[in-house]
Amino acid sequence: MPSILNQIRELRATHDMTQQALADAIGVTRQTVIAIEQDKYSPSLETAFKIALVFGVALEQVFQYQPKGRR
Amino acid sequence: MPQLSYQEKSLYGSLIAEILVYGPYFFLHNQNSIGKVAGMIIGIIVLQIVIQLAIVAFTRNRLKDERDKLIELRGYRAGYFAMVSLMVFGLFMLWLHTALGELPVNRMGLHFLSVFFGILVISDIVKTVTQIIAYRRSL
Repeated sequence: MPSILNQIRELRATHDMTQQALADAIGVTRQTVIAIEQDKYSPSLETAFKIALVFGVALEQVFQYQPKGRR
Repeated sequence: MPQLSYQEKSLYGSLIAEILVYGPYFFLHNQNSIGKVAGMIIGIIVLQIVIQLAIVAFTRNRLKDERDKLIELRGYRAGYFAMVSLMVFGLFMLWLHTALGELPVNRMGLHFLSVFFGILVISDIVKTVTQIIAYRRSL
């Protein structure tokens, strides 16, 4: 289980935004957005803040840290 | 090639070029020579330029982001470990064959060149394949 989870897919759906649109907004490739959404890649702090900024929410509403062994 | 980023296409292009040039060189040649090594170097450079230009021409978004850089670093790390390991092994084998008298000392230079070049080629392929695997596994 990944230790950093995210709500990007849900936030995208709420904002009616495609993966490509989000990728363009934060300056990464669509493949990177896919990897982040699938919890396979944890973005840098800068990119994480950019994502939160795009959706207009706090960082904690986009990413959640789940320490291992607490499930 | 749908669903592939520019970096992935570029890596597949590199792998194809490496296989096309290095494959025949290492598996079909009978005797090594400076001319063949030079031909291989020129061949890989020309083929890489042609393939990469074609990929650039057919790819609009050529963005390189933080994940691409991380995957690139992983590839270089794997390639470096492959190179160091093979270098130690290759030099040991050269010494062993010379010590056993199977390798004439006057042909040592050419054999060393061949082994050294082989190590560079394998390391390069390890680097490329590692990067492709990282992309396919989404890192």
